[in-house]
Amino acid sequence: MILGVANGRSVAVQDGALLGPATYTPLVDAVCVAVDLDAVDLTPVAAIRIGRPCPLSLGPPGVSTIVQGGHSLTGDPMAPLDTNAISAFASSCGLNNFVVTAAGSPMLADHELAAAEMIAAAVPGARITLSYEFGQAGLRERENLAVRNAGLGTAAGLIADSMAARFPAPVYFARSDTGLVSSQYFRRYPVVCFRGGVSSAERGDGEGEFAAAYGAALASPTASVERILRASGRSELDDALAVVQDEVLTRVVSAGAVPGSARVSSLIVRPLSYLPDGIYRARATAVGATP
Amino acid sequence: MITRETLPLLANGSRLLATGATESSYQIAYDWAMDVLSDVSVPLVAAADLPADTMCVAVSLVGSTTAMEEQLPSGDEPIRVVRALEHRLGQRVGAVVALNLAAENALLPVITAAMAGVPLVDGDGSGRVFPLVEQTTYTLGGISATPLAFAGPGGELVLVETDRLERLLRPVVLSVGGWGLAACYPMSAAALASSVVPGTVGRLMRAGDPSAPRALAAPYGLSTLCRGRIVSVETSSGHGRVQSLPSSPTSIVVLESDGLRRLVRLEAHNEIVLALADGSPVAVVPDQVCMLAADGSVVDVDMAVEGQEVEVVVVTAPPAWHTERGRALGGLSAFGVEL
Repeated sequence: MILGVANGRSVAVQDGALLGPATYTPLVDAVCVAVDLDAVDLTPVAAIRIGRPCPLSLGPPGVSTIVQGGHSLTGDPMAPLDTNAISAFASSCGLNNFVVTAAGSPMLADHELAAAEMIAAAVPGARITLSYEFGQAGLRERENLAVRNAGLGTAAGLIADSMAARFPAPVYFARSDTGLVSSQYFRRYPVVCFRGGVSSAERGDGEGEFAAAYGAALASPTASVERILRASGRSELDDALAVVQDEVLTRVVSAGAVPGSARVSSLIVRPLSYLPDGIYRARATAVGATP
Repeated sequence: MITRETLPLLANGSRLLATGATESSYQIAYDWAMDVLSDVSVPLVAAADLPADTMCVAVSLVGSTTAMEEQLPSGDEPIRVVRALEHRLGQRVGAVVALNLAAENALLPVITAAMAGVPLVDGDGSGRVFPLVEQTTYTLGGISATPLAFAGPGGELVLVETDRLERLLRPVVLSVGGWGLAACYPMSAAALASSVVPGTVGRLMRAGDPSAPRALAAPYGLSTLCRGRIVSVETSSGHGRVQSLPSSPTSIVVLESDGLRRLVRLEAHNEIVLALADGSPVAVVPDQVCMLAADGSVVDVDMAVEGQEVEVVVVTAPPAWHTERGRALGGLSAFGVEL
């Protein structure tokens, strides 16, 4: 039995069927919570962009810096990573909640990973969000998403703590699209649940004040991965896609899918125009079941 | 006059029928243009109203918009390409004109004109969008695309003089990361006046008003081919493709949802070049075929997914394209497809 929780209401759901308003009992296998995060307190974020100088309106938001480095979409390094600048900014900015966004990271994330090491060394205990984990191509969109994620971290942790204290069963949170993520995943990637309440209410269409709770209880653990791949020929592409599919399966398990239940539900691969042969955008989504 | 107040109209209008544009690259050009227009405005003039010997240059993004989203402009690309052509030709640039008016390509000439302190010509070299720099009405008017100045986002500057432009330019574009800005087709205002598709900037600014009908953005006609659901998207591995084109072939199959319930197949190279309804050709380049989502936004070939509901529309190309020379440059055979 699944307990759906939203807006102070909770409902019991068995095999997709609504049993009615309910409270927690030991018969509950999993608790699915729908929340919106648009009104929570945001933690200040320090943004490090790895790339090149740009016009003012295209620069990183808030407390931020641009340091040299990054890769092109063809995988070529644009410049060596300026590790000194990263360490200097990290130790002097006065914050411990960092976002790193490197040009080209959906293709090659090496510079983001290296920057994370620099930050961790300069600011012990720093919380670090890397933009490549959001996959999305488009440096500014990815950076904004990562900054929003980092800002939500503390509030998401408090919400997850309070749910863990209320419910002894595994707790899941509703995503903004469709699907659920585990409490642990929610703590790390709260931005994927930004509109979890609204979207669950849409899916629970006609159950009135219980709509969001019901919608959340109907969903399944879901995760997706977006990458830019380079492959010459069909067999190299198949190999690269196999890696993406492994990654999304691993990710959906960390999002709370029972390991044996995880499967790739969609894989979209498109060649990118005006780039050399064999550069593709791939987006994989995987789903699984709650316990 | 293009100002911070009127730019949104042009920006809206430029997206109504733009294929190949992404939200991200458009937003980059828009925010950048708003920056540049904060202390200047750009006069919009008819080519025929300029002194006949005014040197005009066409400005366009060259390469991949996805690459621009990752490697943002440094901000000085426009002025570098303008100065490079002036240096080569020993003459000041007196006006800027667009190569085409699709999304960011409508805004980059505005940015360039503002930075160079010159007017923008009301018109463009396409009346629609083609993938190659040389597929323009300027070429049909006998004007050479070169000398062409190309600036990459990392400070690179290349001046190209050749009669094999695409072959020479593509490796250059890739070597700077996949995109750059070009100033090309240096020409007199008189030559521009005789080859430009006139009045298209002003028209898009009117079409960009939310209350205006979409058809206003298509001066030579807009018609609906079908409404239906995408039932299949098939992408070739690209082997055996036409090497001169910057894309792999893709086929999209749309099942018409009412009327004759025809199966409409859209053959694409970057953009849709041919539409077949139950096997019979119903639309073909140089006319432009594009898919619109329910909210009116353009669905690009590389974003099309099975299950999506789309309206397939045909934008009639300007008369210059419906000539023997126009079809040779922008028709099916130019895309490597022979019927």
